[in-house]
Amino acid sequence: MFDVNLIIKSLPMLLQASVWTVIYSLSSVAIGFCIGTLVCAAGLSSSRLGRGFSAFYVSFFRGVPLLVQLLISYYCLPLIGVNVPSSVAAVGTLALCTGAYLAEILRGGFLGIPPGLIEAARMVGLSRAKILTRIEVPLAVRLTLPSLVNETTMMVKASSLISVVGVLELTRLAQNIATSTFQPLEIYLTAGAIYFVINGAITLVGGFAESRFRLEKAR
Amino acid sequence: MKTLTRRSAVTNALRVAALGAVASLALSGAALAEDLLAKAKAKGELTVGTELQFAPFDFVEDGKQSGMNKEIFAEIGKELGVKVTFLDLPWPSVLPGLEAGKFDMVAGPATITKARMERYRFTSPIANATVAILKKKGDASITKPEDIAGKKVGSAKATAQLAQLQEFSKTLPTPPTIQEYVDFSQSYADLGAGRIVAVANSLPNIAYLAKTKPDVFEVVEPPFGKPVYFGFIGSKSEDAKSLMDAVDAVLIKMKHDGRLAALQKKWFGTEMSTPDQVTEASF
Repeated sequence: MFDVNLIIKSLPMLLQASVWTVIYSLSSVAIGFCIGTLVCAAGLSSSRLGRGFSAFYVSFFRGVPLLVQLLISYYCLPLIGVNVPSSVAAVGTLALCTGAYLAEILRGGFLGIPPGLIEAARMVGLSRAKILTRIEVPLAVRLTLPSLVNETTMMVKASSLISVVGVLELTRLAQNIATSTFQPLEIYLTAGAIYFVINGAITLVGGFAESRFRLEKAR
Repeated sequence: MKTLTRRSAVTNALRVAALGAVASLALSGAALAEDLLAKAKAKGELTVGTELQFAPFDFVEDGKQSGMNKEIFAEIGKELGVKVTFLDLPWPSVLPGLEAGKFDMVAGPATITKARMERYRFTSPIANATVAILKKKGDASITKPEDIAGKKVGSAKATAQLAQLQEFSKTLPTPPTIQEYVDFSQSYADLGAGRIVAVANSLPNIAYLAKTKPDVFEVVEPPFGKPVYFGFIGSKSEDAKSLMDAVDAVLIKMKHDGRLAALQKKWFGTEMSTPDQVTEASF
């Protein structure tokens, strides 16, 4: 009963949809990384307000299921006058959510930076922003690369949820084809294989970056 | 009930979440008051929410939307002078999206039931949704719906079709064993594999399946369920009234000039007579 022809026929469409999966998940990780850096910096700052905001942000976006966050941003925000299109709601929510996780990952990296380095940077007169972008973030990224890669692969998989706000991506198209052809097995296996390849590629790039930026070499 | 929705855990989570969204929507009351028809005409675009997993009404063929909805709405768009844009969402998100004003109306279609009529306004029905039996091609042991007595029959969880099957089973001397599936496609697969001998679902859906796979499936006539109809869905609010009236006028016109019958013939393989308006649902 296994229909190879159906796979061959659907593969171009599924690959097209998987491009959207990659675009949505990687752009949300990129935006989320900036959010995460700021939230993390606020959490480690001496400002009480900053620490409070950071703690609240992380606990909200980590504590509420992503699915519910998506539904809120799409269906509830219009009521307070914020009517965003599907794709914006999808990328925005994914970015805000992953930002919370990335902030926590980066916090581990920031705390691993020897305080002497920061003191030295301050001594040579670098501004706070420069210290953050030139010293702390690069070092924190190096220290936390495996976890960052892990979070990126998690977001690729999490992007399968965004169809609830009317965005087409790999999982949604696979479901649509499966129910239209009444042959779910072949389609879902193919979709699963595509996710596996995408995440395999991300892991490979991560592994390469890890060996390239190993801290021992940098020293 | 158009609940061709599956993946129990995910779906249930989604339902709960969607319900939550609806509840909060209901609490905050009506949002923007603007006549939908005037707005669509000004914009030149009518936005319709639907789910592309409900053949023969809405499904995917070669990566594109196909089915009866697209063709009916093409006629509606022509008559109203607007372009029709479809938005595909999982069914549990479709009705909350209508209430949040994300689209002007919903295609679906959905079975016109009493409970739904309380909350939504249905268009003039476009098809008969009465539940019938689908069997394996050439199965001589089932020639009428009553023949499923004592046999193993499938339907989809939490659907109006299942509810009707259960009601019908009680009237039989030996009730059939009912196997509940997360979605209808799995029940068709099991019927094909011989794990069950029949599937109960709305007539247009199984008629389409029997038409696309004539050497595998066959419909058992007549339908056994209470007579119900499929209609498109809109909001009951004041700003949706002129739009829904206009859509109704087009659909009724299509019924009288034979365009709807032609589409029914094309997609179900048979014509179906439907009333101009369902004022009271039987279910």
